[in-house]
Amino acid sequence: MRADTFGESLLSRKWHKYAAVGRITVSSQLAYLADFFIRTLFLVVIIYIFMQLWKVTYEGVGETTIAGYAYRDLIWYLIFAEAIILASPRVNLTVEEEVKSGAVAYRLTRPLSYIGYHYVAYLGEAALRLAVNLIVGGLLGVLAFGVPSFGWGWGAFAAMLLGALTVNFLLRMALSLCAFWVEETQGLVFVYDKLLFTIGGMMLPLELFPDLLRRVCAWLPFQTVVYFPSKTIVAFDAAQFPQMLLLQWVWVIPLAALVGWIYAKGVKKLNVNGG
Amino acid sequence: MTALTVEGLAKRFVTKHKQEGLAGSMRALLRPQTKEKIAVHPIAFTVQEGESVAFLGPNGAGKSTTIKMLTGILHPSEGYAEVLGLCPWKERQRLAYGIGSVFGQKSQLWYHLPASDSFELMSRIYEMGREDYRRRRSELVERFGIGPYLHMPVRRLSLGERMRCEIAAALLHRPRVVFLDEPTIGLDVIAKQTIREAILEMNREEGTTLFITSHDSGDVEQLCDRAIVINYGRIILDDPVPEMKRKYLTYKRIRLELEEPAEEIELPGVEVLRAGGTALELGVRTEEVRIEEVLGAIVGRFRVKDVTIEDPPMEEVISFIYGKLGKEGG
Repeated sequence: MRADTFGESLLSRKWHKYAAVGRITVSSQLAYLADFFIRTLFLVVIIYIFMQLWKVTYEGVGETTIAGYAYRDLIWYLIFAEAIILASPRVNLTVEEEVKSGAVAYRLTRPLSYIGYHYVAYLGEAALRLAVNLIVGGLLGVLAFGVPSFGWGWGAFAAMLLGALTVNFLLRMALSLCAFWVEETQGLVFVYDKLLFTIGGMMLPLELFPDLLRRVCAWLPFQTVVYFPSKTIVAFDAAQFPQMLLLQWVWVIPLAALVGWIYAKGVKKLNVNGG
Repeated sequence: MTALTVEGLAKRFVTKHKQEGLAGSMRALLRPQTKEKIAVHPIAFTVQEGESVAFLGPNGAGKSTTIKMLTGILHPSEGYAEVLGLCPWKERQRLAYGIGSVFGQKSQLWYHLPASDSFELMSRIYEMGREDYRRRRSELVERFGIGPYLHMPVRRLSLGERMRCEIAAALLHRPRVVFLDEPTIGLDVIAKQTIREAILEMNREEGTTLFITSHDSGDVEQLCDRAIVINYGRIILDDPVPEMKRKYLTYKRIRLELEEPAEEIELPGVEVLRAGGTALELGVRTEEVRIEEVLGAIVGRFRVKDVTIEDPPMEEVISFIYGKLGKEGG
């Protein structure tokens, strides 16, 4: 039972609990570090293709900027966007497996929140993958364009990552938890991924979209995951930054509530019918 | 103090019911039919703190459903249970600090990391003080003899080494009730023995209540004071292990080594299990004939070089109980 907790507050015990989950996830994922670097080959290839494509486009248009982006800013944008997308752990596979195998039931017997556990594990793994992607992607960018001067953009980018990863996690988790009712969540997650690629701004910054579509995107959470941080770093705007940051966390609230609700429903089903 | 109290605890599941064939599948899609299945009939028992109970039954008898209710994972359809004074499904999180569980086929250790990392995580999850954790860890490391591989990645350990680490990890937070599901499955004889001894020591020294399911008769004989047998969702037997053996061990086996090859032997209540050369193996139903009578008859007829009398293995006793009481009860 709880012992020796003298002098340690409840909050600090909880903090240590989830910090330990984060630490062990990172340690465990370090075993895959080489794997992560090999995966960045894909990042390199795709960025190289984008470079060729946009070079031709810029030459074809005959302008130095498109929708406010210079060629090199656009490529940097794509590097960051790809780095974020490719850093996302495939939490849906884990959760689906846990729901189907019944492992989720055994996790309930631990004094630890299931969602909280996966959130911290997600952040830990994503941070490691992102670091690898940023190193390789950054190197590629530096080789092509030299050291960039994003100034405030760096700090703003870092500040936005947590929100971006949190929204991404919550959306994925909401879909993953559907495994309580449907046999496969792969299809749902596939659609979600494609939404991030398109209206989330991974393939194109949202400024390049037609006006109507942009207005639709502004009302959706997908932009907060990729577009916000990538745009912030290459084109830092002191006025926009706090708004974007706020919007990220405004999305976190209903999404977290949604995840909590789906999870509670799932657990109830598990409690009543064994999952 | 009672560790477990179970009163009229029952569980019914609603399962989907589908006619065979494609047409049946289509119909099930449009108008799903459900059927209620009784997993556990109202059952009752109590377990005192410090007791070591074997919870036995064939696959699908309702064992894991019962354990899931006692750990708060499943809500019962009716009835009541208390574990360490808490209602499992209402106070699951609080109860979590007081119970531990080992599921033989589900690992709780991190595969790529040494067990010491998993121990550290467990100590944090169970909110143990640092000093307390270190003390407890060295205690368990010694008891389970896992010092040499505490710092090796779990994936490199043998199954026996890994299981010792699993159980030590589950005991780290000093649970007062431990649920062990097939703790020795797949292990060799020596590994089984080591694990049983360590578990027994915990039970004797710390008064840990053990609730064990196993298909291994050795686990039952060596670890448990009492056996509860469940079949078709009903408790068909609840006896101390020695008493169970006495009641249902109405059968003994005599192995003989003779001076010369045996001839025919016919005695009431005795069957020849194996006869070849000078070796003879007899099965004796002790309800029909006393063992002394059989021995007397043998000594009178043959020159005996060596004799051993054995109880049948626990497995046979248990399967006998399933067969006999299962039919009577169900």
